[in-house]
Amino acid sequence: MGRRRRPVDPAAGARAGALPEAIAALSQSLPSGPSPEIFRRAKFDRPEATPALWQLLFRVLAPLPLDNRLASLAPEVQARLVKSALRSQGYPRLALAQLPEDGSQGSRELLLALSWLLARGPVLEQMLAQTRVPLGDEMTVCQCEALASPGPPAPQVRAEDPVDVRHVQWLMGKLRFRWRQLVSSQQEQCTLLSKIHLYTSGCHGDHSLGHLSVAEAEMLRDPEGGQQLLRTLECENRRLEAVLAWRRTELVFWRWMDTVLDTCVLGVPAAASQGTFLPQIPECSGGVLELVAWELRALQEELQEAAEHRRAAWEAKAGGCGRGPEWSAVRRASREAVEKELGALRRCWEQDRDPAQPHVPHRLVRREDGAAGDRDLRAAEVIRTLRSQEACLEAVLHQLQGQCRQELARLAGALPGLIWIPPPGR
Amino acid sequence: MLPRDCSRRLMAELQGALDACAERQLQLEQSLRVCRRLLQAWEPTETRASEPPPGPETNEEDPSPACAPSPQDLKELEFLTQALEKAVRVRRSITMAGETDKAPSLKSRSTVAPPGAIAFAPPQTPGQAGGHASDTRPTKGSCQTTVPPKGHSERQLLSLGDKTRVRTGARAPRPGPGLRDQQMAPSAAPKAPKAFTLKEKGHLLRLPAAFRKMASQNASLWAQLSSMQTSDSTDATAAKTQFLQNMQTASGGPQPRLSAQEVEAETGRLWKACTLLRLRMREELSAAPMDWMQEYRCLLTLEGLQAMVGQCLHRLQELRAAVAEQPPRPCPMGRPPRASPSCGGGADPAWSPQLLVYSSAQELQTLAALRLRVAMLDQQIHLEKVLLEEEVGGLERRRTQG
Repeated sequence: MGRRRRPVDPAAGARAGALPEAIAALSQSLPSGPSPEIFRRAKFDRPEATPALWQLLFRVLAPLPLDNRLASLAPEVQARLVKSALRSQGYPRLALAQLPEDGSQGSRELLLALSWLLARGPVLEQMLAQTRVPLGDEMTVCQCEALASPGPPAPQVRAEDPVDVRHVQWLMGKLRFRWRQLVSSQQEQCTLLSKIHLYTSGCHGDHSLGHLSVAEAEMLRDPEGGQQLLRTLECENRRLEAVLAWRRTELVFWRWMDTVLDTCVLGVPAAASQGTFLPQIPECSGGVLELVAWELRALQEELQEAAEHRRAAWEAKAGGCGRGPEWSAVRRASREAVEKELGALRRCWEQDRDPAQPHVPHRLVRREDGAAGDRDLRAAEVIRTLRSQEACLEAVLHQLQGQCRQELARLAGALPGLIWIPPPGR
Repeated sequence: MLPRDCSRRLMAELQGALDACAERQLQLEQSLRVCRRLLQAWEPTETRASEPPPGPETNEEDPSPACAPSPQDLKELEFLTQALEKAVRVRRSITMAGETDKAPSLKSRSTVAPPGAIAFAPPQTPGQAGGHASDTRPTKGSCQTTVPPKGHSERQLLSLGDKTRVRTGARAPRPGPGLRDQQMAPSAAPKAPKAFTLKEKGHLLRLPAAFRKMASQNASLWAQLSSMQTSDSTDATAAKTQFLQNMQTASGGPQPRLSAQEVEAETGRLWKACTLLRLRMREELSAAPMDWMQEYRCLLTLEGLQAMVGQCLHRLQELRAAVAEQPPRPCPMGRPPRASPSCGGGADPAWSPQLLVYSSAQELQTLAALRLRVAMLDQQIHLEKVLLEEEVGGLERRRTQG
């Protein structure tokens, strides 16, 4: 294979046979993954390996579901999007940005990019989880991702037409109506689901589940479709096995990638090589940063005023209390208690993951007694959590609406030509 | 009129929200169709090419085709049928059940199955609609499960026969029972032929063995993946870290301290912080302290909050500096989820699906309704934020321009 062995690591030589295995496992666990040969060619920067790697990177980086719009993009556009996505994730090497987008060269750099992504996170598992065959009736408790706007705003909004306030209000009404529709459809679906679960209870071989899901019942009703389900399941099992094999053998792959990196010539691209970047689309993070800054400053002012006021009042009242030992003990206890509370508050936003509200879909299971295992969720608890979330969100919305009104009033005052519109989303 | 650029973004967001709702509605409706169809009487699929019905059918009312069994299958069917009929006859003579006419046809019905049938106990629809196809289900050769032990199905069928008195009209190998559909049975129970409905016979369904095997394999593989994730080999982790470091040092370019994604994530966190801090401040300000100790704590809390806001602002300045160093590039490929004030984002390493247990239809409905409500509030908040951003941005822009 012509691999350059690292002189310092004799053990890697002994494991040399595992490399093809690892690469084969990797290739099988990637969706429509490139053949192992592509990986080997890429190490030597062979141009024929390039298009496959661009495609693979696009599949890995593109948001699912991979709809027709994204899948039918031209390879050059896909390549550009890959570059942009890697850059926004902080890919360190500038050489990637300089690669031509026609797929004529650069396979080694692309291989490095792929490995970089694989090293940073459980990419394979995530991809599998996204395309998982849902055997049960699944519900994701937190819908923050499900109802995010699909992708970048479509360029249908004509920038030239000034927008009529009434049009905005009409759209808001339409949105409210659609929500109501969703609610009633959802209620009906729950009733039907519940019935299906009830009628098929006792059927499932797996007693922890107890009843059939819609997918399973559908498979019995329509065996042809069931065959399809079976085939998809089989595919998924194969990919799962490949990922497990990869996890067992990946060590030798990383050692190999170090050697690939060594073979790269350290190119020093000029700093002014920005020409290959995308044209400037309105930034997504700049505006938000400013808004948060503005909010925080306003909050700081409010807090400052309130705290000073309270402090003055306190000093006036308690100034005569003296500085006895029990007084300082009490002070310390209070301080500690407050610190603890505020620490918990801080954790609320610093923690990225909230264990009580997982974003993983859960399989719905109906049980008369509602008993659930350790790792399972109980509907009653979820309902409680959702209610408190609802309360919190309502408070936030209320506050935001107030701010919007204030701000609009200010704008109306500062710029007399502007017409005041009522804030949306009541 | 709204300022032009403000309106553009607001319109785009509104349109996006409408589209997301519409998409969700479509998905729901599709799911509803499937569910409704499941709860109605199950139509046997008539999509196969017409094939001769198996067995020595004298029944004329059976136009609907079954799977095409091979001649050998037909023979086997015949044997099976006859054997089971005999068994039933014997049993019948012992039990002297009233519905004797039904039992054999039931029997023959459901075990008219080539070796690869689903263990599907309920018999098929009778000749009510003039030869509605009978149990094509068990004969569907596409399924790959094994025939259940005859005794098992027998028992099921007999119990079925006793309970529901369903008659299978069409394909009795013995012409007699089949053609006696219309006659009044000796027993008093009504003999209306029934289609298969989930309501009545859902509990008799059984999943095919091939599927069960595959599904349990699937579950165990996912479980292995989960456990492997949590106990990641330290060798591999070290090797990966080393590789990433090597990549960084070999990059040959200015090293960005923070990627655009990280900036965005951090900004979201700061936004959440601001919201929570503000809420907390409101709580403290609106609470009436009962004694001096509470007052003292309130004071400390406010001062603590003030300090935290200062820290957040400091962090924000750092972010601003990082962003200014390299102009933030847009990420046109999919937007990361918005940082809602009430939840965090992030992938959960437990890949295998866990259960959500509910106990009644009403509970499920409440759950689903609340879930939608939270999502709706989240969306409203986002729109409100957009409006605020645009207003603030517009104000700033005008100040700098004017």
